[in-house]
Amino acid sequence: MLRSNGRLTIVLLFVLLGALCSACNVVRITLNTPLTPDDVAFIVPGQTTLLEVVDRLGSPDSLNNSETGIVSVHRFLDMKYARVNFGWLARPWSPVDPDLIFSRTGFGTDAFQVFYDSNGIVVQHSFLRHVVDRPFHPYPF
Amino acid sequence: MQWFHTVLALTLTAILFHGCAFSRGTLGDDINAEAVNSIKKGVTTKAEVLTSLGAPDRVLPLNGRDVYQYYRYDGKVGSLLLIIVNFSRVSIKGDDLFVMLNQSGIVEDVIWSKRTENLEFRFWPFGD
Repeated sequence: MLRSNGRLTIVLLFVLLGALCSACNVVRITLNTPLTPDDVAFIVPGQTTLLEVVDRLGSPDSLNNSETGIVSVHRFLDMKYARVNFGWLARPWSPVDPDLIFSRTGFGTDAFQVFYDSNGIVVQHSFLRHVVDRPFHPYPF
Repeated sequence: MQWFHTVLALTLTAILFHGCAFSRGTLGDDINAEAVNSIKKGVTTKAEVLTSLGAPDRVLPLNGRDVYQYYRYDGKVGSLLLIIVNFSRVSIKGDDLFVMLNQSGIVEDVIWSKRTENLEFRFWPFGD
């Protein structure tokens, strides 16, 4: 009987833990492949061509005029969202469904721009925002 | 005690594998790879490009040349709806095709890559 009670307690604890934490959400959205400085280290201004860049990084999302010639832009996004609803803690004892939600979103939008001369040779390149890879973090304060 | 183990296993399974979801969204038509490969630099004309690929999504003026841009986006969403916690991962990639035409209307260059080819349903939001 004692063993059975122990198991029942474990099951109940597990169900309670599940009920308490069921309001946790972790969402990640990625647009294209996020680029890092290592991914673009092969680009040498004055040597690398547009076709070599496309070959390694894929086609850009846009091509535009620049004073030197052409500018290509590779856009990417790595959005992280975490949410915890502490209101669930009171739901077993409350006549209403209370909510106490902590959530935080990091959009992580960035772009990699490459400037070329009129012959398609790289003149310079840079990231737009230098987004740092942040962890999931629901605490908003 | 057999019933207890069965109930326990079913309870744990229900808790851990509450549900999962697959969703997909696309924007634009698939870019025809055969049509792109048939474009020859210095030979293919603007009219032939329009016939094989259709009207472009955008026309960009680039240093006196016209650039036709064709794009398509593909998004796949995988959600693991556990009772303890919900995980979702949205992966979106785009295919972009740029056809550069010179002032005579002849194809000068083609820039293309198919990034959506390796797009998979993913559920785990952590890591790469």
